[in-house]
Amino acid sequence: MTDAIQDEIIREFDGLEWLDKYGLLIASAKKLEPMDEDSRTDENSISGCQSKVWIQSYKRDGKLNFNLDSDAMITKGIMALLLRVVNNRYPQEIANINLYFIEEIGLKSNLSPARSNGLESIIKRIKEIAKNEALKDNV
Amino acid sequence: MTGFAKDFPILEQKVYGKQLVYLDNAATTQKPNSVIDTISDFYRTDYSNIHRGVHYLSERSSERYEEARKKISDFIGARNPGEVTFTAGTTDSINQVARSLEPSLKGNEVLVTGVEHHSNIVPWQMAGAKPRAIEMDEDCNLLLDSIDITKKTKLIAISHVSNVLGSVNDIKKITEIAKDHDVPVLVDAAQSIQHLPLDVKDIGCDFLAASGHKMYASTGVGVLYTSDRFSDLMPAKGGGGMVDKVSLEKTTYQEPPLRYEAGTPHIAGAISMGAAIDYMQKIGLDKIEKHESDVYSYARDRLLEMDNVTVYGNTDRMCGSISFNMDQIHHYDAGLIMDKMGVAVRTGHHCAQPLMKSFAIEGTVRASFALYNTKEDVDRLIEGIEKVEMMYT
Ligand SMILES: Cc1ncc(COP(=O)(O)O)c(C=O)c1O
Repeated sequence: MTDAIQDEIIREFDGLEWLDKYGLLIASAKKLEPMDEDSRTDENSISGCQSKVWIQSYKRDGKLNFNLDSDAMITKGIMALLLRVVNNRYPQEIANINLYFIEEIGLKSNLSPARSNGLESIIKRIKEIAKNEALKDNV
Repeated sequence: MTGFAKDFPILEQKVYGKQLVYLDNAATTQKPNSVIDTISDFYRTDYSNIHRGVHYLSERSSERYEEARKKISDFIGARNPGEVTFTAGTTDSINQVARSLEPSLKGNEVLVTGVEHHSNIVPWQMAGAKPRAIEMDEDCNLLLDSIDITKKTKLIAISHVSNVLGSVNDIKKITEIAKDHDVPVLVDAAQSIQHLPLDVKDIGCDFLAASGHKMYASTGVGVLYTSDRFSDLMPAKGGGGMVDKVSLEKTTYQEPPLRYEAGTPHIAGAISMGAAIDYMQKIGLDKIEKHESDVYSYARDRLLEMDNVTVYGNTDRMCGSISFNMDQIHHYDAGLIMDKMGVAVRTGHHCAQPLMKSFAIEGTVRASFALYNTKEDVDRLIEGIEKVEMMYT
């Protein structure tokens, strides 16, 4: 299964050196709207990350959307990529999505559960939310 | 490779196309050829279980294990090797003391500092004691004149050197104060044994804990010095090797150190600690201290010169670790970028959350040094920091 947005991201990172990849992530982070202070609560935070990550979700026209933020720019840059891929899709679609771009752009090491930015726990949380919303859709 | 680095084969490599600069030595140090060879030769020639067999290899292994104990005993200035027990590391050593002293600790308090590693906090809590920190000033100098020892203080447990700041605590002064109150003192030497000459008699402590892997030896092994004064402590662990007579009704224990070493120990690890000590002594501890102190001061000076860098802690004596943050830049970002520059640092809370809380920060970037680091490594660190800054503007 391929996905136009993920393929686009892979092309953007293609052939870049590590520091340029980080440069691109930082640039994406700067463009991402920060979450307002009041929403950066413990409840909205995801544990298991060395940098803090906050998540919020809302539904519009049956489609699921997320806000993500982090106090570290590289993490936030990865969040910005994630949002491009998962936002504005139906919950069931997000619940089943294969996020192959992460491995393709070389961020797989950030995925392992022991890794301090806990990308794994962020994705798990996104999918949990999507699954719950999908269940609600089905009743 | 220059200087002592040439003895450490792992340091020869490039990472991400750049010569590796390893500055995560407070987490663990790399191993010199002599230690690596000792371990592999031991398994090739002398290995067997110790203290049990009548056969040749068992004799050889036991001899080499006891030789290692003797080396450590001399290295830390113990009265006799009986005061040195092999453990799994600093954490294990401290937990064993907590377990042995549990009856007296329960419901009482252990005096610690605000810079302790979680390993010197959690075991006391698990033994039912409340850790209380000796006050310090904003530079992290302990305020020993206002030290408050009460009837409830059953132990003082202090790190010799902070794994975060590199601050050196005046443990000798602490043991002097403790003696007036007849309170035993445990020294967490995880971050000092590889940097500073130690003499437990001179320090006057009752317990001292250290890890092999932070002093150029194997992982999974460490030591606990227990003063002869405590030779009849209840062992923290029971099992084979530590008993005198066993019946289902009653068991009697061996004398120390065997009393405290239940089960088959990390034999090769213990021997690797002996080899690491040989390595350090061959260079000379004074020479190591002098070299490390030059590199450390240089690093501190360079970091303090930078406008956008905050360095934490400023005590009379420092060694090993330096913690800092860059203005407006998350420590995790800084660490990731430096890694890709070939500079290995550690970021985060460094298992010292109470200290982070006192600075009101989430974490730091920590550069920590070993005998193989040089001023050129410091220059690479500074280049890394400059690169991080550039990427943010
Ligand atoms: C001061 C201090 N105490 C205790 C420990 C725990 O050592 P280990 O993990 O080897 O048991 C460390 C390790 O970082 C330390 O720095």
